[in-house]
Amino acid sequence: MPSVSPGIRVKVLFFGRVRELTGLREEDGEVREGATLGDLLEGYIQRFPQLAGFRASLVASRNQEFAAWDTRIAGGDEIAFLPPVSGG
Amino acid sequence: MPVTSENDLYELVRSAIDPAALVRHVRAGQDGAIVTFDGFVRQESHGPATKYLEYEAYEPMALAKMREIGSQMHERFAIHGVAMVHRLGRLDIGETSVFIAVSAPHRAAAFDACQFAIDTLKRTVPIWKKEYFQDGAIWADGEIPPAAPKPKPAS
Repeated sequence: MPSVSPGIRVKVLFFGRVRELTGLREEDGEVREGATLGDLLEGYIQRFPQLAGFRASLVASRNQEFAAWDTRIAGGDEIAFLPPVSGG
Repeated sequence: MPVTSENDLYELVRSAIDPAALVRHVRAGQDGAIVTFDGFVRQESHGPATKYLEYEAYEPMALAKMREIGSQMHERFAIHGVAMVHRLGRLDIGETSVFIAVSAPHRAAAFDACQFAIDTLKRTVPIWKKEYFQDGAIWADGEIPPAAPKPKPAS
């Protein structure tokens, strides 16, 4: 019995260059039912157009695992957009 | 079930790494070899001089990835113990940023496993460094972790 579905609440984390460009470390976000990690990133690119130039170098993580951009988001997910890693 | 040794050590720290303590940690009577990797902050000889580095990590994920590397090491190589420590925060020239020690009955496995460990860490562990110069700072180029597998269908 579908009705107007409430948004899905997620936690979004920001690191390195992405943290600096957005000025965010962490925030609670809300996406529509069925949204993917790629959809969430597009939303942030609209808010922070300076991210667009880095889109191709970012990878997503969902609940501390690398995840493909077409992964669907579930309520309570912890999501991050990770710039190229440079440990060592 | 991942293969791990309960004596393995995986840590993120914010103070100086003590390599000798990590070597002692993996050294056991049945071993015949320990191979270590000591990664430390380089004074750049090309371009502007580095003053210091700042490291940050997605800490819980970074530790999980380090443990995952450890389990792959035990699966692939005939080794005994692993200690893998990465330092975060500000590091000056010459300070150790990452130290890996691997013990094994025979040297070949320890060499191979240690190389696998640092190569995989640099490619897959979510840690970032920013280099500070006299007049500015830049994020290190870094590597894009291998593409994630397709999501599994919901069960």
